[in-house]
Amino acid sequence: MDNQSIFKYSWETLPKKWVKKMERSEHGNRSDTNSDYLFQLLCFLKLHTYTRVQVSIDICGVDHPSRKRRFEVVYNLLSTRYNSRIRVQTSADEVTRISPVVSLFPSAGRWEREVWDMFGVSSINHPDLRRISTDYGFEGHPLRKDLPLSGYVEVRYDDPEKRVVSEPIEMTQEFRYFDFASPWEQRSDR
Amino acid sequence: MFLRVIGRPLMAKVKQTTGIVGLDVVPNARQVLINLYTKTLKEIQAVPEDEGYRKAVESFTTHRLKVCQEEEDWEMIEKKMGCGQVEELIEEAQDELKLIEKMIEWDPWGVPDDYECEVIENDAPVPKHVPLHRPGPVPEEFYKTLEAVQSKNGAPAVTSV
Repeated sequence: MDNQSIFKYSWETLPKKWVKKMERSEHGNRSDTNSDYLFQLLCFLKLHTYTRVQVSIDICGVDHPSRKRRFEVVYNLLSTRYNSRIRVQTSADEVTRISPVVSLFPSAGRWEREVWDMFGVSSINHPDLRRISTDYGFEGHPLRKDLPLSGYVEVRYDDPEKRVVSEPIEMTQEFRYFDFASPWEQRSDR
Repeated sequence: MFLRVIGRPLMAKVKQTTGIVGLDVVPNARQVLINLYTKTLKEIQAVPEDEGYRKAVESFTTHRLKVCQEEEDWEMIEKKMGCGQVEELIEEAQDELKLIEKMIEWDPWGVPDDYECEVIENDAPVPKHVPLHRPGPVPEEFYKTLEAVQSKNGAPAVTSV
């Protein structure tokens, strides 16, 4: 389905309450929604006859520290029947809990664990929410913008104790401050 | 031996396999489809009239129901609809029924007063080395449904059911 017709079709058929912003572009159609309606929107996209998106390719998060709801959870979906991709985005802050979509897309289990681990956006009633990429005793959520690049602890192998120990890092880095305006010209960077 | 002589013309059009893993052949597909589509048309009445969703569902379900009722053979149905195999159609119809049930439960109809939706049409050109998405062929009933949804005069009248 080419971009124009799928955009028009989804604009007309999706209930207006669910959609906050829609974008049609060659880079990928995107639709933005509220976190209450997330599960319902994905269920619609999965089951409806003309938008059979049955595969979730990726779920990832984006941290915009300047916004009030700082995290944005992005669901990339694929429809094998109609060969079309769509992106669904929701915004969340540190304490918002997203509904898990594992019952719709079984592959989403790992992606949601990753989003929880990296950002701290947790899910209600998730069947299996554990850490997936960080170390076992790791505190903090790495992909948030306020965790420094080299982290807070460093690990080294200690010969007397015959095991790996974590110690506070010797090389510190300050809080990451992002100044998006370039020094040469005032360009708004998206 | 005689059984084969008698039975072979009767069994001539039996489908051997769908070719898809996990999807079994349904021998009475036409009947199942007609049942599902009539049930869908009945269920969709619970959705308010102006909604694009209702118009779309009614449009393509009536079209598919008409095709199923006209043609006797599963092969002719598949060819005429252009939507893949009958078993896939059955799956789509069952999913649509489930969806209608859920939509009625969630009830998201109506537009709130302060609704504003930002529609961005981003026509920024894609760099040449990035492969563009090439869409596949789409059944023509999709375009008819799109027209039905975009028309302001309401859905075509449902004659059956």
